[in-house]
Amino acid sequence: MGRTNVMKRALSAINGNIQLKIGTFLIALLVMVALLAPLLATHDPYVLGDELTAPPGAEHLLGTDGLGRDVYSMLVYGARTSLLIGVVAAVISGVIGTLLGGIAGFYRGSVDRTLTEVNNIFLIMPTFFLILLVVAMFGSSMLNVMLIIGLTSWVGNARLMRAQAMSLRERTFVLGAVAIGESKRQILFKHIIPNGIFPIVANTTMNISGAILTEASLSFLGLGDPNVISWGQIVFNGRSYLTSGWWISTFSGLTIVVTVLAFYMIGDGLNRVLSPKLRNNN
Amino acid sequence: MGRYIGKRILTGALTVLAAIVLSFLLIHLAPGDPASILSGMDSPSPEMEEALRVKYGLDQPLLSQLWTYLKNLAQGDLGESISNSRPVAELIAERLGPTLLLSLTTAVLSLVLGTALGIYCARRAGSKLDAAMNGVSYLFDSMPGFWLGMMLILIFASSLKILPTAGMVDLRGGYTGFAHYMDVLKHLVLPGLTLTLISTPYFFRIARSSVIQVMSEDFITTLRATGMSESRIFNKYVFKNAILPTVTVFGITLAYIFTGVAVIEIVFSWPGMGSFMLKAIGNRDYPLLMGIYLILSISVAVCMIVVDVIYAFIDPRIRYS
Repeated sequence: MGRTNVMKRALSAINGNIQLKIGTFLIALLVMVALLAPLLATHDPYVLGDELTAPPGAEHLLGTDGLGRDVYSMLVYGARTSLLIGVVAAVISGVIGTLLGGIAGFYRGSVDRTLTEVNNIFLIMPTFFLILLVVAMFGSSMLNVMLIIGLTSWVGNARLMRAQAMSLRERTFVLGAVAIGESKRQILFKHIIPNGIFPIVANTTMNISGAILTEASLSFLGLGDPNVISWGQIVFNGRSYLTSGWWISTFSGLTIVVTVLAFYMIGDGLNRVLSPKLRNNN
Repeated sequence: MGRYIGKRILTGALTVLAAIVLSFLLIHLAPGDPASILSGMDSPSPEMEEALRVKYGLDQPLLSQLWTYLKNLAQGDLGESISNSRPVAELIAERLGPTLLLSLTTAVLSLVLGTALGIYCARRAGSKLDAAMNGVSYLFDSMPGFWLGMMLILIFASSLKILPTAGMVDLRGGYTGFAHYMDVLKHLVLPGLTLTLISTPYFFRIARSSVIQVMSEDFITTLRATGMSESRIFNKYVFKNAILPTVTVFGITLAYIFTGVAVIEIVFSWPGMGSFMLKAIGNRDYPLLMGIYLILSISVAVCMIVVDVIYAFIDPRIRYS
């Protein structure tokens, strides 16, 4: 039991599930694109060109936008922004959710009741508007966007971890750890969280999708970080050229769809591989 | 059942309170002076600052300021819009109608469509059609709503020229009576379709998985053993049990639809709260933004309570527990 086991399960899961294979391949590809952006881009995405809204062709693979920037190169660089925001926000929500859910499910009692109520509140609250308010008031830097998305999206993780902790705390090996006198904190971090983390890993993958979509919506409202290129911003900028330059918004949006879909496929694939009940049903 | 409903109302009330406290804290935590946030100016004039100080008691301790803030809210006073110098509550009330029309139409459509498709696919679980529908549901789930809206505009409005792309009425038409309603309906098609397409997957998956779950329960196997026909088992036993989870999440889903609706409204220049909100962001009109946030939190909480009460009435397991 422990982290190595989790890794092994993850690797064997990827091998056995077609959905996972495709998703992992797409994301690996995207990470490569983000890392090698300067090599893959054909133009400097920040440089304004003379050819405004030029259609896709040999010189500009996916055309240029209203300011003459090369759409393909912008998309390549945008991968960095979207991946970074998605992953950091999802990890923040994963860490918060795991800790709060683990504590609630393991300690029970009034801590659990309070956390469950906070959970319920966050479930009903229109969090996107909260995110929007914070970004509007505190500024739309990438850091702010990542932080606020992470801080408002941990509820699902907390619910999953709580359920895991509640079932794990009754298992023999945990009771054994109690019997040999390990402290509650030790048990929580050594046994409960490592053994119960897998659903949170799957859910965090899905949360990356959610964070990328949220960032895109913020950019579309003009609340994206103005200093970086993001896919949502390209869609937003293309809106004014929808009829004269359909390629600007179309390709940037498609990039978002494929990326989000790939993360969903990984998350859903992991869930299926790990839950025998789901596997039989599908 | 009274206890259950009481608990749900408490959760709803706590949510609204949490939203109020959060928006209050934001004014104080945001960079800059609360007076400058509330007035939308970097350095408000002394008169303006004095007026705000009196209204919100800005020189008082934080807790008593919160109390003043709550008292103002309880009287329906959401503050004054910076860009319009009119009460926020009044401005929102004017814009609420179109937003409700769009979001409720969509909510009902996607509930019905998603549930129907989910049940249909669940009864054929594992078939090619089921797998395809599942894929489609994830595809629409992955689309940013505003992008889907723009693509629909490209296809139906710019290329085929069969539907209007913006607004709620044809301003040059000047229709009245029945023609007016038909005009609104025509304008509703594209934004409604966009929102329905991105909201349906949610209901689809819940309905599908809950039907599959009920069908795998022991009492269904027992009924099969008695020789009862599949359609009778489904109509009499599976449907009723499986439909309930869909109804429960309806209240919560409204929150997501309200969120999605704002962005879609902007794409289609729908005269609701969304485009209004965009202006408020541009003008740094924080009282207006906060008002919109509060009204939305309250609406969602109320919807959730209503749905839960209905749920308690139709599900005996809750009524008698």
